[in-house]
Amino acid sequence: MSWLDVAAIVGGLFAGVLSGLVGIGGGQVFVPLMTIGFGASQVVAQGTSLAAIIPTAVVGGYTHVRQKSVDLEAAAWTGGGGVVGAVAGALLAVHVAGPVLARIFGALLIVSSFLMFRRARAASRSASFPPAGRPGEPGGDEPITPT
Amino acid sequence: MIPLLVLWARVDQRLANATSLVAIIPIAIAAVPIYYFTKGSPEVDLRIALFLVIGSVVGAYVGARLLKSVPDRPLRYGVAVLMLVVGLKQLVFP
Repeated sequence: MSWLDVAAIVGGLFAGVLSGLVGIGGGQVFVPLMTIGFGASQVVAQGTSLAAIIPTAVVGGYTHVRQKSVDLEAAAWTGGGGVVGAVAGALLAVHVAGPVLARIFGALLIVSSFLMFRRARAASRSASFPPAGRPGEPGGDEPITPT
Repeated sequence: MIPLLVLWARVDQRLANATSLVAIIPIAIAAVPIYYFTKGSPEVDLRIALFLVIGSVVGAYVGARLLKSVPDRPLRYGVAVLMLVVGLKQLVFP
């Protein structure tokens, strides 16, 4: 076992904790770890990361399901939507340059993060007045008009 | 996925994080064949993958167990900061 293997275990551990805690796949940690840390090419890093994400998400997801902290219906909808999006994205990626897509995705994330900051601040302000309904259910937090 | 759940569907932050991880499973499984057949034949470094998985599987279990005990406020801000960092990284180094 070389130092590289040990580094991979430690990096994997870090990515895994973040993945279980925050709900990301781990690719955001795996890919830079391999390209910057191990000097792997982008293609190898992405291929390897994709392979490592599946067991990570299965173990983390199963742990969450056992703790009953998953909205299975929402997971089915977002997972299903994600599959369609992944196919569309892959087909789109053939026509649009990779960096352009990555930049659009980055801008989208930054805008979302500001909205999340705003919501986090609003939530800590109204912490003394918790919403009446069960969180996670439409109508629990704020009513959503059915379409 | 998390902003979609929290901002649009108004799902609780804790529930959104856990739900997102479950939703990643079908996406990652669907992405594998697409990735392999549309981008030539990208190689997988099986050795690195193996050691990454040894660490990440243990980490994922620990992280998932931790989620229950992390207070709401740091969790919300933590997710927002992480999204900002990843977003900036994508924008500057696509």
